[in-house]
Amino acid sequence: MELDEKISAAALQLGQALRQDARVRAYLDALEETQNDLEASALEKKMYEAYKGLITCQQVCEQLDSEVARSFYDLRQQVQTHPLICKRYDMLSVLQPHLNEVAEEINFVLGVDFSAMARP
Amino acid sequence: MSLYLNILDPTTKNDAVQAARNLGNLLAETPEYTEYITALKALNGDLKIQKFSAEMRGHQAALKWGNDTEGQHTAELTRLELEMQDQPLVQEFQQRENKLRTLLQEVDRVISQEAGVDFAVNAHRRGCACGG
Repeated sequence: MELDEKISAAALQLGQALRQDARVRAYLDALEETQNDLEASALEKKMYEAYKGLITCQQVCEQLDSEVARSFYDLRQQVQTHPLICKRYDMLSVLQPHLNEVAEEINFVLGVDFSAMARP
Repeated sequence: MSLYLNILDPTTKNDAVQAARNLGNLLAETPEYTEYITALKALNGDLKIQKFSAEMRGHQAALKWGNDTEGQHTAELTRLELEMQDQPLVQEFQQRENKLRTLLQEVDRVISQEAGVDFAVNAHRRGCACGG
């Protein structure tokens, strides 16, 4: 869908204003740190693969393989306690209320929940 | 977490708030939005739809309280939902809602790409830990 020129410019302006916000920058730095850290990125990748395995097993197997489940929970525990990943989550949780506050401005004008309607 | 909060200075908060307000005002002038609001008002003002909605709420409340041992509320709710879907005003509203949704999703894509973070997904207010 092609946006009207004015709306496109206004959306770009909002995106730029957000990017300049210290909380967004801190989150993006934390995200980059995680992505650049081989151990952290490998750990997350492994956890998502284990999760896919768990879902497939739930759909196909008659009984959940306890090894598959244990492997996933172990990996999840490692991900949740990894310092860089924890920092990224912390940064995101600091950022989310700010994004909500900004979205509320749009909601206030429209009387429509922008974030609920615009989510992919 | 408090350490991170203390070192962050949200100097550009007003810029983002002002930009969001400006965007909201422009969105309010689009045909997608005005037609959605017109369809919504028509839906809310229709007596037949109001009656359907009230009946549906009654059955939903019964289901919520586990008062459906013979399945009569489930069956009636399904019937009402199907009948509701057949109403031209409901179909009109859903079409308008989809058009507005498409517009807002595209707007969100532009904001998110520029900001470097998914805007709508992360702006959505979460319920409390109790599931509320």
